[in-house]
Amino acid sequence: MNGFILKKDNLVPLLRKLRKGGRLVAPVQNRHGDTMFTAIEDFDRQHIDLKNQAQASLKPFFFPQEEPLYTYQNKKGYDFKPVNSSEPTIFFGLRSCDLTAILYMDVIFSQKSPDPFYFERRREAVLISLGCSRPFANCFCNNSRSGPFLEYGFDLQFTDLGHCFFVEADRARGEELLERWSCYFTPATEEDCRNKYQVVLEARSSFKQTVHVDQAIKKLTADIDLESIWKELSSRCQDCGGCAYICPTCTCFTIVDQPVDDTHGTRLRQWDSCTFAGFTRMAGGHNPVDYADHAIRRRFLHKLKTDVEKHGRPSCVGCGRCVGICFGGVDMIRFIKMVNELPAEEGK
Amino acid sequence: MSRDIYLPQMARIEKIIPENPQIKTFVLCFVDEDFNSSFSYEPGQFMMVSVPHCGEAPISFSSTPTRPGNIELSVRLAGKLTGAMHELRLGDLVGLRGPFGTPFTMDKLSDRNLLFVAGGIGLAPLRGVINYCLDKGGYGKITLLYGSRAPDDIAFSADIKLWQKKGIDCQLSVDTAAEGWNGHVGVVTTLLAGLEIENPKSSLLCGPPIMIKFCLPELSKMGFTDKEIITTMERHMKCGIGVCGHCYLDNKLVCVDGPVFDLAQLKAH
Amino acid sequence: MAGLATTFGSGAMTNSIAEIGRAEVILVIGSNTTEAHPQVARRIFDALDRGSKLIVIDPRRTALARQAHIHLQHRPGTDIPLLNCLMRLILDDNLHDDVFIEMRTENFNQLRDMLFRLDPREKAAVANVPLSRIKQAAELYGRASKAVICYCLGITQHICGTDNVQSIANLAMLTGNVEKADTGVDPLRGQNNVQGACDMGALPGVFPGYQAVGDIIIREKFARAWQTELPARPGLTLLEMTHSQGKTIKGMFIMGENPLLSDPTLARVRDTLEKLEFLAVSDIFLTETAELAHVVFPAASFAEKTGTFTNSERRVQMVRQAIKPPGQCRTDSDIISALSRRLGYEMNYESTAEIMEEIALLTPVYGGMYHDRLESSWGLQWPCFDRRHPGTEFLHKYNFARGRGCFVPAAHQLPGEQPDREYPFLLMTGRVYHHYHTAAMTRACARLNRESPEALLEINPVDAGSLSLVAGEMVKLATRRGSIKLKILISEQVAEGMLYTSFHFTEAPVNLLTNASSDPKSKCPEYKICAAQVEKII
Repeated sequence: MNGFILKKDNLVPLLRKLRKGGRLVAPVQNRHGDTMFTAIEDFDRQHIDLKNQAQASLKPFFFPQEEPLYTYQNKKGYDFKPVNSSEPTIFFGLRSCDLTAILYMDVIFSQKSPDPFYFERRREAVLISLGCSRPFANCFCNNSRSGPFLEYGFDLQFTDLGHCFFVEADRARGEELLERWSCYFTPATEEDCRNKYQVVLEARSSFKQTVHVDQAIKKLTADIDLESIWKELSSRCQDCGGCAYICPTCTCFTIVDQPVDDTHGTRLRQWDSCTFAGFTRMAGGHNPVDYADHAIRRRFLHKLKTDVEKHGRPSCVGCGRCVGICFGGVDMIRFIKMVNELPAEEGK
Repeated sequence: MSRDIYLPQMARIEKIIPENPQIKTFVLCFVDEDFNSSFSYEPGQFMMVSVPHCGEAPISFSSTPTRPGNIELSVRLAGKLTGAMHELRLGDLVGLRGPFGTPFTMDKLSDRNLLFVAGGIGLAPLRGVINYCLDKGGYGKITLLYGSRAPDDIAFSADIKLWQKKGIDCQLSVDTAAEGWNGHVGVVTTLLAGLEIENPKSSLLCGPPIMIKFCLPELSKMGFTDKEIITTMERHMKCGIGVCGHCYLDNKLVCVDGPVFDLAQLKAH
Repeated sequence: MAGLATTFGSGAMTNSIAEIGRAEVILVIGSNTTEAHPQVARRIFDALDRGSKLIVIDPRRTALARQAHIHLQHRPGTDIPLLNCLMRLILDDNLHDDVFIEMRTENFNQLRDMLFRLDPREKAAVANVPLSRIKQAAELYGRASKAVICYCLGITQHICGTDNVQSIANLAMLTGNVEKADTGVDPLRGQNNVQGACDMGALPGVFPGYQAVGDIIIREKFARAWQTELPARPGLTLLEMTHSQGKTIKGMFIMGENPLLSDPTLARVRDTLEKLEFLAVSDIFLTETAELAHVVFPAASFAEKTGTFTNSERRVQMVRQAIKPPGQCRTDSDIISALSRRLGYEMNYESTAEIMEEIALLTPVYGGMYHDRLESSWGLQWPCFDRRHPGTEFLHKYNFARGRGCFVPAAHQLPGEQPDREYPFLLMTGRVYHHYHTAAMTRACARLNRESPEALLEINPVDAGSLSLVAGEMVKLATRRGSIKLKILISEQVAEGMLYTSFHFTEAPVNLLTNASSDPKSKCPEYKICAAQVEKII
C-alpha cells in the first residue's frame, strides 16, 4: 500500500479545501468541554479535537435519532410524500471503532432491500478515519477486532506520527482525494512506513482494558446457563436506553405517526431499544419477553452471539461508550467479565 | 434506489365482515388497479397495515391467493391501530405494505393429513391455508379444532359451516359455556385427547401462547414429529423486513425467518 | 423537612450525591431509588461495586431491595418501632458513638431511656420483620465508619412523617454518622426544583432561605427591600388550601401544580376548586386542574427560559433558554411580574439575573449565587454566603446548624386508617420510572407513554389467587372515599395483604381513594397508607 505524509500544518488548509466539496464533520470540543462530531462552519472558532473520544459515534449522521420518512395527509385517501434530506459530507477524525460500526450498519441496512434513507446519506459520505495511537479509558477495540487501526473500509486513514500524519487510502474515493489534493501530500518514505508500523504496535500494547471478547463469545455459543447474570444485570438496568442510543451499532428503531392536525402528520422513524419493555409488548398488553429478569438479555446476546452467527463477527466494536453512560454499570465490559467468570460447562 | 420499502400502497375497503364482537374481516382492493392485479402472496404471510395517525401493525392474510382480485385481513380489536380500523367504513382507505414473511410451505404439505388447531383470532391465518387446500386439492384429510372463550366469541362461523359441508372435520370448543351451547366445553387442547390422525400428517397451530404451550406435548404424544408441528407467530413489528428488531425471538426475527416456524426450527437456537 | 430542621437545624440533604458512592454502608429507607432517583441509585451501584454494603428498609421488594445485602420488608407505617428496635440493638451491642453523642448532641438521655424501656422482640413483631434480620442490620450499620441514610416519601408521607424523620436522624447521630464527609442523612427530593422552591420560601411559614415570617427583624429586612408590608402570620398549608371546600379561600392562583391528580381525597379537591370564585392556573399543558380554571396562563417549559434549578444536593444550576416559548407562552417570572403589575405592585426586572441578585441580597445561604458565577460551572451548593464562598459539599461540618444535634425520641403511631374486614388490604401509592408527578408532560411523550401506558395495581400472587384474579385483569379498587378501575400486576414485590399503585394516571386517579389524614407538624398527607378492597369486575 502506498502511504503519504501530510504535515500537521497542512491539516486545516486541506480540510478547508475539502469543505468546499460538501459539509465537513469533525470532532469539535464545545465550550462545556464536550467533544462531539460537529459540522465545521468556522475553522477559527471551532476547535477540532483529536485528543479525546467523541461522546457519540457517527451513527446519528447516517441513522438519525428521529427522521421523517414521509409526510401524509388523509383528506382524500392517505397520501404519503417522501422527505428528502441528505448532502455530501466529509467525515474527518472518526475512529476505527466508529468506522467499523458504519461498515456493520451497511450490512444491517441492506438486509432484504437496501434502506433508501440510510444509503442516500451513506453514498454521499467520505470517511477519513484517524487511527488511535492512544486508546481511551474504556476502549477494547483490539479485543473486538475493530481497531485501533484498520486494514480496510476507510476512504482515507490517518496515523499520527507526532510531527505529521501518515495517510493511506483504501477506497477509490480516497485515492481521488489524494490525487486531487496531491499538493498537500508527499509520498511516504520507508522510514515513515516503519514509524507508522511502530505507532500501531505501541497502540496495541497501550490498552487500559483487557476484555476477552472471544472467550465470552465461545462460552455464549456453547449455550451456558446465564440466568444469574441476566437477573443481576436486569435489576441494575434502569431502563433509560442510554446504552442503545450511544452504541454505534444499535440500529433498532420504531416507526410512529406524529399528527400535525386532524388530517396531516409525519411518519417518523425513531431510535428504539430492546431494553425497553414497550419494544416487544404487543397490542392488548401481552409481552413475550420477561423484562423483570431479561431486560438486557437481547442486547448482549444480539451483539455477541446472534451477530456472530449471522455476520461472522460480534457487533460490539469495543468503543467503551456504554461503560461511560450506564447508570447501573450494565455495560459490555462488565457483561463479558461476568460471562468469563462463570465456570465452563458442557453445552445444554 | 427505490424509496418505496416503507411506502404503503393505498387499498380500499370493499367489504367488512363482523366475525364476532372483537373481530372484523376487511376485504380490500388496492386502489392502483395494475398493482392490484399483479399483487401476489402466499398463505402465512402478512401485511403491514397503516391507519392515519396510528402507525403500522402486522396483520396476516386470512384469505387465500387462490382467489385473487382482493385480499382479506381479519383484525381483532386490541390496541390503538386495530381500534381505529374497527371504526373504518366501506370505501375508506388504508395503507398496506407487503407481503412479508416466510409462508407455509404448501407443496411440502400435499398428500398429508392436516390437523389445524386454532384459538380465537388464531384461526385467521389458518383460514387462508384451509381455503387454499380446498381450492388446490391434493391434500389429505383435514381436521380443524377451534377454541373460543365463549359461544359468542366464535369467529368465522360462515366459513366453518362451509368447511363442514366440504367434508372438513370441524370440532369447536368454548372455555365457558352459555345457554344454548351443546358443544364441547374446555380449552381447545382437550379436544386433542382421543383424536387420531393417520400418517403422513402435519399439524398447523395458531393461537395464544398458552394454547401453543399445552398443545405441543399432546401433539408429540400423537406422533407428530417436530418438523410436522408448524405454527405461525404474532409479534410486535415495525418494519417487516428484518431491520427494526422488535420481533426478535432468540436468534431469529419473526418477520423474515417466520412468522411460520416448525417446532424443529424453534428448538434450534 | 420539619423533622430534620428540629434535630439538625436544617431540612436539606446533608450530603452531596457523590458522597453516597463513597460510603461504606448505605441504608435506604422509604425510597424506590432506582425508579424515582436514578442518579442517586447510580451512586449506590458505584458504592456496591466498590464493596460497600446496602441495607434497604421497604415494604416492597424493589429492584434496589433485590440488590441489598439486607432487606427488611416491614409492614408499612411501622418505621418508628423498627428504627427504635434497630437503635436499641445498636446500644445493646455497644456500637453507638459515645464521643460524638457527648460532644455534638443533646437530649440523649431521653432517647436512651426510651430505648431501654422497649422490648425489641415486640417491636420486631409489630414491624413484622425477624429480630435476627434487624440485628444483622444493626451490626452492619453500627460498625460502619462511614454510613449514609437515604430516605424519601416512604418516610415523610405518613401521619407520623416528622417523627419518622427524627428517628432516622436519631439513628445517624447515635452512631456519629453526620458532620463528617461520606456520612449523613439524605432526604431525596422529588421534583427537579422542589428544593429550590422550598429554598425560595414556597412554604407557609418562611421567607426565602428558611427565614421565619414570625421574626420581626427578618420581616423588616424583606419589607425594606420590597417596599411593602408583609404578614407576620404563616400562610396555609397545602391541604388547608385544597381541602378548604369554600370555607376560607375565595380565589387561587396555581402555578405548575396539578392538585386535581396529586392531592389526596380528590373529591374534596374538586369541590374546593369548583367553589372558588376565581381560579387561575399557569401550566405548560392544560392539566386536569387547568381545565377548571377561569383563566389559564400558558407557561414556558424548562427549555424556554433562563434561570436556576436547585437539586436535591442543594446544588443551584443554571438553565439557559434553548428555544423561544411557542405562541403566547410566557416564562413564570414574566407571568408573575405582569400579574403583579396589574394588581398594582410594580415588579420590574430586566432579567432573571437581576432576580438572582435580589435572592443573593436577601437570602444568606444563597448570598454568593450570581448568574455569572453559575454560568460556566456545574453550579454551587448552598450554603454559599458570598462571592468568594466555594459552596458547601456537606452540611453540619464540625457543627450542626442549630449548634448541637438534638435527639427527639418517637413512639409508634397507628396510621390514619388500618385495614379491617370491609377494606382488608393496605394500599400504598408511589411513582413509576417513566412518569413525572401528574404526568402532564411525560404522558405527552409517546415513548414514555408506550413504556408505561396505564396504571397497574401490584398485588401478591397469594391474594390474586384467593380473589381468583388472573394477570392483567381489570379490577375495581375501592376505599371509603371512592373507587377506580385499573389493571392488576401480580407481583411478589408486594407482600400479602399489601397493594401498590402509582398516582400518575388520570384514567385511574388513585388520589380519589387516598386518605386526607396528615402529619400534624409537617402537614404532609398520608399518601402511603390507606385501607382498601379489591373487587373482580364481572
